[in-house]
Amino acid sequence: MHALIQAIILGILTGGVYALMASGQTLIFGIMKVVNLAQGALVVLGAYLTYTLFTTLGIDPFVSILITTPLLFLVGIGLQWALLRPLHGEDVAQLSLLVTFAIALAIEGALSFAYGATLTNVQPTYANYSWTVFGYQISLVRFVAFLLSIVMLGVLYFILQRTKFGRSVRATVQNPMSAQLLGVNANRVSALGFGLGAATAAAAGSVFGMLNSFNPGSHYDLISRLLTIVVLGGLGSIGGSVVAALIMGVASSLVSALASPIWSDFTFFIVLLLVLLLRPRGLFGAKTRGAL
Amino acid sequence: MAAKNSTPELILQISEVTAGYGAGLILKGVNLDVARGEIICLIGPNGAGKSTVLKTVSGLLRPRSGAVMFRGENISALTSRERLSRGVVHVPQDRSLFPAMTVWENVAMGAFILSDQALLRRRLAEVAELFPIVAKRRSASAGSLSGGEQKQVELARSLMLDPALILLDEPSIGLDPRARSSVFASISKLAEDGRTVLLVEQNARSGLAVAHRAAVLEAGVVALTGTGQELLNDPEVARLYLGASARGPAETLAKSV
Ligand SMILES: Nc1ncnc2c1ncn2[C@@H]1O[C@H](COP(=O)(O)OP(=O)(O)OP(=O)(O)O)[C@@H](O)[C@H]1O
Ligand SMILES: [Mg+2]
Repeated sequence: MHALIQAIILGILTGGVYALMASGQTLIFGIMKVVNLAQGALVVLGAYLTYTLFTTLGIDPFVSILITTPLLFLVGIGLQWALLRPLHGEDVAQLSLLVTFAIALAIEGALSFAYGATLTNVQPTYANYSWTVFGYQISLVRFVAFLLSIVMLGVLYFILQRTKFGRSVRATVQNPMSAQLLGVNANRVSALGFGLGAATAAAAGSVFGMLNSFNPGSHYDLISRLLTIVVLGGLGSIGGSVVAALIMGVASSLVSALASPIWSDFTFFIVLLLVLLLRPRGLFGAKTRGAL
Repeated sequence: MAAKNSTPELILQISEVTAGYGAGLILKGVNLDVARGEIICLIGPNGAGKSTVLKTVSGLLRPRSGAVMFRGENISALTSRERLSRGVVHVPQDRSLFPAMTVWENVAMGAFILSDQALLRRRLAEVAELFPIVAKRRSASAGSLSGGEQKQVELARSLMLDPALILLDEPSIGLDPRARSSVFASISKLAEDGRTVLLVEQNARSGLAVAHRAAVLEAGVVALTGTGQELLNDPEVARLYLGASARGPAETLAKSV
């Protein structure tokens, strides 16, 4: 029983970070109808930026979020502007998918060139600190990472629900033609939306680097987990992707505790298969799809 | 009637407009003059290009050649947003609300390009008075409304910028007779308030009845214009009401009616 609850706590804390990554991906999907295959690579890029800021300048990994997030926001805007925006014609969706994959490979290549393929991680002095609450271990880094993800999700929610830019995003997601007819600039929404998606990857990446060992190839594993989460969440619903991330976090942590850590990775693929077979529109079905 | 004025001020002039999607041309030299304050109804068979005409006026589609003049200015190359700010509003044919937003949010989106919040609130109040549904169902999500209710909200939203020209694409489609007559009543009221309405209507009998003037679009050109009454009495047009056209499937439909 103790091990079970410990695993659930760990799963929820980890799931929160995945929720942040997945919400950015869902946002991009909602706006552009493109699954961003570069989301995992952007997370790894964020992790390496944090690593460099920490090892060369001694900047605390949590503090470095203040640098990595705006930086990747701009990178995201640049990528959309340079590589996705010029795409035209009937197969824009397929082409965009390929372009996001190409972006992932390019980031992987650049990181391999700069850092090599050895696994690293970001180890601040408090990396192994943990509290014991009612007999349960809670790691400081995981706890703060979870809180931070919740705060970032709150910021994202606020932007989408309460700002004019957020209204233009939701309008574009729900009815692109009407949005254009009411004066919403679709290119601007796409660029800023891609930037926001990349920004969530950066924030998640900074903490990812403290929680996991990583190398430039880590994005393959990450993107397959993220795909499972966004599909389970119903593609296009941010709330759905958050719930799905928590479910997957808990599920894989339970499998790891009760069976073996080796099986924990498989949890994602098994869930992905089951969802695609049984509930292809995700947990929350068609109703919330594309509504954000 | 407005069209009978000796010196009608032309608010919209579509001249020799060609346009299309991809390779082919859909509009093959459309000419249409619209006087200020009139309701002009565009009818024609499915696929004639009626919606395409509206798109070239609102900026969803750029004409390949020809000109769209609004109040004497060539707006052919302007973006939708620029045309909107000049007073051209387009209510498209398909369901055009944002289904997961509330009714109130939807109507407010009609003034997206306004930055003056006080003006926005004033317009919201005015529009809610004209269309009671806006206040009555303000917190309902737009997707949960019936088709007729949605159409009222769409019309309400289109007035948020106090436009001079409203392009309405088949506003009565899919509505029951009561909802339909309420939509046509709203359209008449728009013109009484001095607005100009370019109406595309499949339901030609009602469309022509409410219109001051009308035009028939066939295969990408304006084949006929006249007052609403003239077109109602035209035998050729009568054939069109029934959906008959040069196209095969429509022909058989006409015979079966
Ligand atoms: N987005 C588009 N891409 C490609 N072709 C299109 C597009 N929209 C319309 N068309 C084509 O253009 C032609 C004219 O379409 P349009 O919608 O203007 O007709 P319409 O007169 O409004 O017909 P309806 O009465 O059915 O609404 C049709 O043959 C249609 O297939
Ligand atoms: Mg049409």
